[in-house]
Amino acid sequence: MARLALVMVTLALLGLALAGPADNSLVIGTSQEPPVIGGDPHGVVATAAIASEIELYLVSGLYRMDINGQLQPNLVTEVATVENGRLRFFEVADGQQRLEIDLTLRDDIRWSDGVPITTEDVRLWYETGTHPDMPVASPDFYRRLSIEFHDARNFTVIMEPAQSSDLLGSPAGTLPAHVMRTAWEEARATADATPDPVRKTEIFRAFFARFSSAEAINQRRMVYSGAFVPTRWAPGSSIEMVRNPHFHLHPENQQNYVQRVTYRFITDTTALFIAIMGGGIDATSSVALTFDQALSPQLTARAPGRFDIWFVANPVWEQLAINQFSQVQQVSDLRLYDVRTRQALLHAVDRQALTDALFEGLQPVAHTNVPPAHPFFNPDVVQYNFDPERAAELLAELGWTPGPDGILQRTTEDGRTVRFEIEFVTTAGNAVRERQQLFIAEDWRRVGIATRINNAPAGTVFASAYINRASEGSWTGVFMHAWVSSPAAIANAALYICTAIPTADNAFAGQNTGGWCNPEYDAARNQAIREFDLEAARPLYWRMQELFAEGLPALPLIFRSTPLVTRVGLVNFVSNTFNNGFGYPPPEPWLVGWAARGAVQVYDQADFATRLVR
Amino acid sequence: MFKYTIRRLAQMIPLLFLVSVVIFTLLSLQPGDPLDAVRMADPFMTAEQFQALRRAHGLDQPIYVRYFRWLGRLLQGDLGPSRTYGMPATEFIFQQRLPNTLLLTVTALLIALSVAIPVGIFSAVRQYSKADYTVTFLAFVGLSTPNFFLGIVLMYLFVIFLPDTLGLPQLPTGGVPGVFWEDVQAGFITAGQFFGQWAIHMILPVFTLATGAMASWTRFMRASMLEVLNQDYIRTARSKGVYERKVLYKHALRNGLIPIVTLVGLSLPGLFNGALITETIFSFPGMGRAIFESLMQKDYNVAMAALVFLAVLTVFANLLADLVYAVVDPRIRYD
Repeated sequence: MARLALVMVTLALLGLALAGPADNSLVIGTSQEPPVIGGDPHGVVATAAIASEIELYLVSGLYRMDINGQLQPNLVTEVATVENGRLRFFEVADGQQRLEIDLTLRDDIRWSDGVPITTEDVRLWYETGTHPDMPVASPDFYRRLSIEFHDARNFTVIMEPAQSSDLLGSPAGTLPAHVMRTAWEEARATADATPDPVRKTEIFRAFFARFSSAEAINQRRMVYSGAFVPTRWAPGSSIEMVRNPHFHLHPENQQNYVQRVTYRFITDTTALFIAIMGGGIDATSSVALTFDQALSPQLTARAPGRFDIWFVANPVWEQLAINQFSQVQQVSDLRLYDVRTRQALLHAVDRQALTDALFEGLQPVAHTNVPPAHPFFNPDVVQYNFDPERAAELLAELGWTPGPDGILQRTTEDGRTVRFEIEFVTTAGNAVRERQQLFIAEDWRRVGIATRINNAPAGTVFASAYINRASEGSWTGVFMHAWVSSPAAIANAALYICTAIPTADNAFAGQNTGGWCNPEYDAARNQAIREFDLEAARPLYWRMQELFAEGLPALPLIFRSTPLVTRVGLVNFVSNTFNNGFGYPPPEPWLVGWAARGAVQVYDQADFATRLVR
Repeated sequence: MFKYTIRRLAQMIPLLFLVSVVIFTLLSLQPGDPLDAVRMADPFMTAEQFQALRRAHGLDQPIYVRYFRWLGRLLQGDLGPSRTYGMPATEFIFQQRLPNTLLLTVTALLIALSVAIPVGIFSAVRQYSKADYTVTFLAFVGLSTPNFFLGIVLMYLFVIFLPDTLGLPQLPTGGVPGVFWEDVQAGFITAGQFFGQWAIHMILPVFTLATGAMASWTRFMRASMLEVLNQDYIRTARSKGVYERKVLYKHALRNGLIPIVTLVGLSLPGLFNGALITETIFSFPGMGRAIFESLMQKDYNVAMAALVFLAVLTVFANLLADLVYAVVDPRIRYD
């Protein structure tokens, strides 16, 4: 260990002079630093996208998701299916189902200190996640979860009531019992002895932080099950990882592949941009450059022969939420609750021109909330192409006529004359969104719709007291933001169901912030989430997309693409839309390497992304 | 002076209590809930589950209950844990971030002073000369160049342009070196290598931060020296044949430094609250970023710890500036 530390320090001193193929290392630049990594599987301390990405190197799940979004066994011998008898369904009360998943851990899996991974490690994960006072990030999942342990390798995961999204990833996790069990028993005893819920939370958070903080890594307090092991975390600087000698998956001639991975935290994207141009970064993470920076002439001029710039379609979906609560005066005046108004608003915007002008066409127009890469994507839905004449017709049907200033106006039922001036909210300071906003506002102006821009910082507009109170008029028009259409989110399809409308009756809980409600959509969704046969589920998800396109609960804009920069000669550091669920690279960290060092290319990024060519 | 000092110290207690109430109230009035992001990420979270989470984090309590809970812990020396990092807020602020900030700001201050004082004197002595005009011009350039612009330009120069054109070694784009003092203790590196790495990482952010202060204090020093050099006692000393060096450094400088001493005293809190823009550009993990990020992430314990600490520093720094002023200028007396 001392020798390893000496090597790490020497390499840190030498900095980037020997980085890359020269020393078989990889430096990944990112604009975020995780708060904790590796020892907080329930999200008790914090959750962050960059932590999830870095943990791809450190933590092995029971399953892993391959580059095509298919589940593969990782710590277990095989993925549970009905065909192999490991997956069973039972009808329980109220039309719900109970799901039983039999799993067997491989017999060759070890923690990074060589200790075998057994069901005791699954048990610890289960006990910590299901403790009644544990402030987990997804309480509903743990409420439905139970596990029966049979022996050191065999266990059964039970989900009741089950949902189709339960089959989209690892049904359980692991924590190293031989390292964490004693501390857990102490923390649990202390927490159980205090009646104060805040104190309990602090005890549990401190427990997980003890094994996932920078100090935990630097003091070698934790062990890991992934392909790499963290050896050094300099807060504000970098995390360094080396190969885990006990990891069970190896490429042939492993020494030909990257032996050391460093994540460099450069939180200012301009500084990160300069570091990439300066050659100090071999690849970017999923949270790195902005779209503009990736398209910039400075970067693209420097790229040939040095690095490739890719645009990977990601599951993030930019849209205009639209207030449809008729009790709100402005909504009623503008008749936003009428689908023809929403159709007119969408017809009036040239979304293709928007993506061409702002994103060089690299972020495709969206027609529903399901990305084209998803297996349930329905290409045959109603599309609202740019058609200002049709927009004008629809608005005329609704009683709008041009006013003296060119802005549409109408006389309401109570005799008032109202102008078509719509409030437009988005996150202040997000330059890309603000440009999109101006583009859309200008298109609307051309059909006689005025816009009142009302932006505020993300912390303000995403506060539940703001975004979830459209029924009380907190925002009265359109709200541009994004949702992540991950496989689980699409499977759950909870975004636009009637019961997810935030109102005073449900303490303003739910994500259906605009208040759209279609009983047929709800019925299809409620059936879909209980349909575990993909082929039987497909028509239901297709129907939901048809209903979405017909009813327009929100106005779809574009699907985002993530810029990815990789140094020429780096192989298998690739990303796809649903890579690991959210598009985080790489699918198999143990295969990342340099062609110059003999690493064999298995995946070609060109198969999954668009290369920027100038 | 002693009674004055005691009186000022006694006044601090109710003042700081009031400041803590104001800070806590303002933090609590921020729109949004620290758990909003958690709620948005889980569509199946029921209202009851969300309320349980709020209860677990103490967010269901009225503001005054939360404040007195915080005050009670403060009196026991506990400022609570960071919601973002899970570690004690004091450890995060005083062990991780504050040392970095002090290194950056104290170095920048010393460099600024070491340039501003002699250059200001030089400029004052050679008033209206070409050298004076040059110094004045550079000072105005330094004053009017925004930190963020200067930092980016320097980064581009020393990371890309000069290495490309002249083959100079690249400077880091920011952050801190990945070496610890424990590495020196373990014998993996020498102390020289450790300090050398830190020095290399500090070059660009220190120079960026020092430029504004250098420019501003140069102007102050020049103006102050000019005022002193026009005094009768200076004219008397010169007419008595005292060497010019002695006139400047024995008679004029001490009085000329009075405004600078006051300025430096008042800038002491700034040493601790960091330099947000510089720290952001250079990804430097200091207090400025810690405060900003804690406000954005609604990490109340960290924000309160940092802001109350700065309030205490500000009050002490004001007192210190007043006392030093009285020491430097014997005409000043406090009752």
